[in-house]
Amino acid sequence: MIPGKIARFVQERANVAGMASRDADLVPHQHRVSGWRLGKDGKTITAYLPALFAEHLLEDLESNGQVALSLEEYPAHETYQFKGVFVRQRAIEAEDRALVAAQRERFVHDMLPLYPEAPVDLIRGFIVEPDLAVEFEVQEIYLQTPGPGAGARLVPPAEK
Amino acid sequence: MRAVEQSTTFDRLPDAIRPVLDNGIPAGMATCSAAGVPNMTVVSQVYYVDTQHVAVSFQFFNKTVRNIRENPRAEVAVHDPFGQVDWILELQFVRSEKEGPIFEAMDIQIEAIASATGMSGIFKLMAADIYRVRSCRRIEYGGRAAEPA
Repeated sequence: MIPGKIARFVQERANVAGMASRDADLVPHQHRVSGWRLGKDGKTITAYLPALFAEHLLEDLESNGQVALSLEEYPAHETYQFKGVFVRQRAIEAEDRALVAAQRERFVHDMLPLYPEAPVDLIRGFIVEPDLAVEFEVQEIYLQTPGPGAGARLVPPAEK
Repeated sequence: MRAVEQSTTFDRLPDAIRPVLDNGIPAGMATCSAAGVPNMTVVSQVYYVDTQHVAVSFQFFNKTVRNIRENPRAEVAVHDPFGQVDWILELQFVRSEKEGPIFEAMDIQIEAIASATGMSGIFKLMAADIYRVRSCRRIEYGGRAAEPA
C-alpha cells in the first residue's frame, strides 16, 4: 500500500515523471511520461505515455514485467521512485486525457516562475499528448530527493 | 496534430546536440542492476566530450552508480523544450574521472546549476563518468500540441 503522504504527493504535487524498463539483455530504456493516476486500491499506478517516447516499452514489459517510475516536484526536487511489476496496458481514454490536461496545467503553473519569458504554449507543449496507459503494481518505494537520504527504501521499510 | 513528429537516429553526436547539453535542464537516466531491476533517475549534467563520448555527473553514491558498476549500459534523455525536441542517448560506461579537464569543467557547471536551483551544498560533483555513445536519437514532438484543460 502506498502511504498517504506519498499518495498525496503523487496526486497533488508531482509535476515531472520518467519511466524505466529493460529488455532481456538487461539493456535499460527510459520513457518520458505525460501523466499518472494512483489506483483506487492504493497499490497500483497507471502512467500515461506518448507512443513517441515508448519505444521498446511494451516489448520490455511483456518480456519481464520490471518497471520503475520516478515522480518529482520540480523545482523543489522532492522525488520518489516506485518500482514494481507490469499489470496491463490499454489505449488512452477521455478520463485519462482530462487528468493529463490537469497535470499539464500544474506543470505550467510550476514552471512559469522559472521561465517567465517562455511562451506558455511552449511550456504546455512539453507535456505531450499520451497514447498509452501502463498500469503497474508498486512493490517498493524509494526516496530520491537529492541529499543524504537519497536512495533510502521507504516501502517496505528498510531493515535497520 | 501529429504532422511534426519525427525521429532520426545518428551513430555519433551531431553538433546540433551541443547547445542542448549546455541548457542546464536536468536529464532523465535509466540503468539496470545485474539482477534485472531497472532504475530511473534525474542527472544534473550530461557533458559533451567528443562526437562519440559524453560525461555524466556523478553526484551521489546512489543506485545508478551501483547499477553502472554491475551493468555498464544506460539510456539518457536530454530535453530541448524550446525546440520541442528530445535526444535519447544509448550509452556504455567507460571509466570514471575524479580529476582532469573534464572533471574541472563539469565541477564549475555543477556549482552554477546548484547555485541557480537552490541546491548549493547538496549538489557536489564526485566524479565525471565517461560513456561511449552507442546511438543518438532525435525526437521532434512539436506536432503533439497540448489539448486545453
